[in-house]
Amino acid sequence: MVLLQLEKERLVWRARQISGPDPRRQSSFYPSLDAHLQGGWPQTGLVELACGPAGIGELRLLFPLLAQAQSRLQVWINPPAELNGQALAQHGIDLSQTLLIRCQNPQQALWSAEQSLNSGCCSHLILWAPTLTAPQAKRLQVSAKDNQALMFWLHSRAEPSTSALPVSARLSLAPLATGLRLQIHKYQGQWPQHPCQVDMHALWPSLAVPAHGSSHPVTASVSNVVALPLKPR
Amino acid sequence: MQWLYLYFPSLQLDSLLHQQAYHQACVLVYQNKVVQANPEAHQLGIKIGAGLAQAALLCAQLKVIAYDSKQEQRLLTQLAQRLYQTSATLYLDPPQGLLLQTSDMLRLYKGLPRYWQQLQQPLMDRGLHYHYASAHSPLAAQVLARAGNDRLLENQHQATALLGQLPIHRAGLEPKLALQLERLGLNTLGQAQALPRSALGQRLGQNLVTYLQQLDTHSAPKRPAYRPAEHFRQRLELLYEIEQSTALRFPLKRLLADLEAFLEPRQLRVAGLSLGLEYREHNAERLHIGCSDGEYRGEAWLALCMLRLEQLQLQAPIIAISLNTKGQMPWAPLSAQLFEPPGGRLTAGQLISRLQNKLGDHAVQQVYLRDDHRPERSFYQGPPHSHYQAQPATTALRPSLLFTLPQALGHKPNHQWCILSGPERIQSGWWDNVSICRDYFIARNPIGQVCWLFRTPREEWFLHGYFS
Repeated sequence: MVLLQLEKERLVWRARQISGPDPRRQSSFYPSLDAHLQGGWPQTGLVELACGPAGIGELRLLFPLLAQAQSRLQVWINPPAELNGQALAQHGIDLSQTLLIRCQNPQQALWSAEQSLNSGCCSHLILWAPTLTAPQAKRLQVSAKDNQALMFWLHSRAEPSTSALPVSARLSLAPLATGLRLQIHKYQGQWPQHPCQVDMHALWPSLAVPAHGSSHPVTASVSNVVALPLKPR
Repeated sequence: MQWLYLYFPSLQLDSLLHQQAYHQACVLVYQNKVVQANPEAHQLGIKIGAGLAQAALLCAQLKVIAYDSKQEQRLLTQLAQRLYQTSATLYLDPPQGLLLQTSDMLRLYKGLPRYWQQLQQPLMDRGLHYHYASAHSPLAAQVLARAGNDRLLENQHQATALLGQLPIHRAGLEPKLALQLERLGLNTLGQAQALPRSALGQRLGQNLVTYLQQLDTHSAPKRPAYRPAEHFRQRLELLYEIEQSTALRFPLKRLLADLEAFLEPRQLRVAGLSLGLEYREHNAERLHIGCSDGEYRGEAWLALCMLRLEQLQLQAPIIAISLNTKGQMPWAPLSAQLFEPPGGRLTAGQLISRLQNKLGDHAVQQVYLRDDHRPERSFYQGPPHSHYQAQPATTALRPSLLFTLPQALGHKPNHQWCILSGPERIQSGWWDNVSICRDYFIARNPIGQVCWLFRTPREEWFLHGYFS
């Protein structure tokens, strides 16, 4: 009886029985990723994203998800540069629910993350931190699960941490011409799979490399677009 | 009986000792004379009015503290503030007395015993020694209480009888006048009352006649009744010097309990506290502790204060602390969402206050938009604030990560870079002398980062952000 209950909630699973979307996942709004992850991101828990260099599209991967869920706070801790409010607003993120925390040392960043999760008023948390130890990851994972929050841990290494950290999912990202290539190293409730391609062309057509290569020469002429108000001559 | 008088012979000493649980002989000294002594000191034979040298001879380890009448008056006001919850009309009689009008309150409490029980509780909580008496007139109650009568009398006859038996030197008269009366052979107050007033007035002065008249005057004193303060302000002198900021927890807890007792009946909460730390040989310091949602519970404030105090390095030992409030607002129950499943332990405002008190105000920010085309000025970071609607100023795609200072590229992007869009010229800001003229490009560099580049008119290239 207990085993059935556990199996129903997918706390225990049989390798040959896994099929179809998991009801306890939330859509990432990228159809290919949803299909690959059997329904999308986990509802709660800690997700490790090994991004490599900043700016390959790691936040664009999360924006559709963040734009959907805005009843509670979204906390950003130690982003590598200024968070551009204009861009966040363009992507549909509610700035009144966005909290930006900058900490001097890693301990404070982890403390803020844990406090935010434990407060119960934070739905998503995005933390940039170079490393986490297993006890730290475990605490954040438990806090996130207990408080119905999803936490993303981003770091700039190309490969995820090798130690078996207690996280819900561990993914590494690599840039592609039209989006990202995701390597899934660990995902609770399913086998590791071959890499998956996330196509961002549909959402951000102007950021994808056109098929025929560079369309503009670098030496493009000065545009005739003029910003108002005009300077009086 | 219309009036009740409470007399606190050792108000300052009792408050000091109760706050800090001190169980050794201790006296307050004013002009080299003992004015207040605790029971331990009384046991050793130290009497009120004794010289300091005599007291020190009786007890070598005697703790001596200076008497401060201003501090005692503050304590009396605090006490009045507390008793005001029980009794509506009361008068301060500094430095050590409180006069309460009981006639109005007896109907509410259905009799003197219950009323008295309600009054006693706060006095016992504070560990105060007190004498009391009830009587038909304010002065009669005062005289009986100061004589240590400690009885609640049923009617005026009992009070008059007790007053009549009172020895003249304990009747609260000026010592010189009392001596004159005793020399006339008048040993009790009753004997003086029996004499014709006009004759007494002629021989001993008008003061005595006024005094005797007031003993029978039922009406309220001429001075205004006590009115509670609108803002909380309290100061606590420490018996010990505190050298570690975390040790402030215990005295602070007491102040915050008083704050809660002040705010709760008024249905108020405060948005900020100002905690004053007075150092022994250093200028006082004020700490500001905020809670944007407002809070009234002492427990919650203590947690916030401790977050701030943990980081504080004390410059010198602390001898006193004080607490003021800032920004009182009416208390409003949290409008919790009934159908939201996750039961949050804190509200967003409480979380923000907690983070701000630990990390500093500047570390916790919210992003606001500004109507400006210059990318650096199109948004700014400010203190968090809910109820804010943002409209992006531009529809052109902007990078999500922006550098505060553009990074010089040093060279023109070569053929390995792929220009995805551009140029987009931004020329703006001639009106405030931060004028820019830039041609922005979105370009993908060889390692796959989608960069926001710009070119100045002098053909210099800069990296300004990432389309992360």
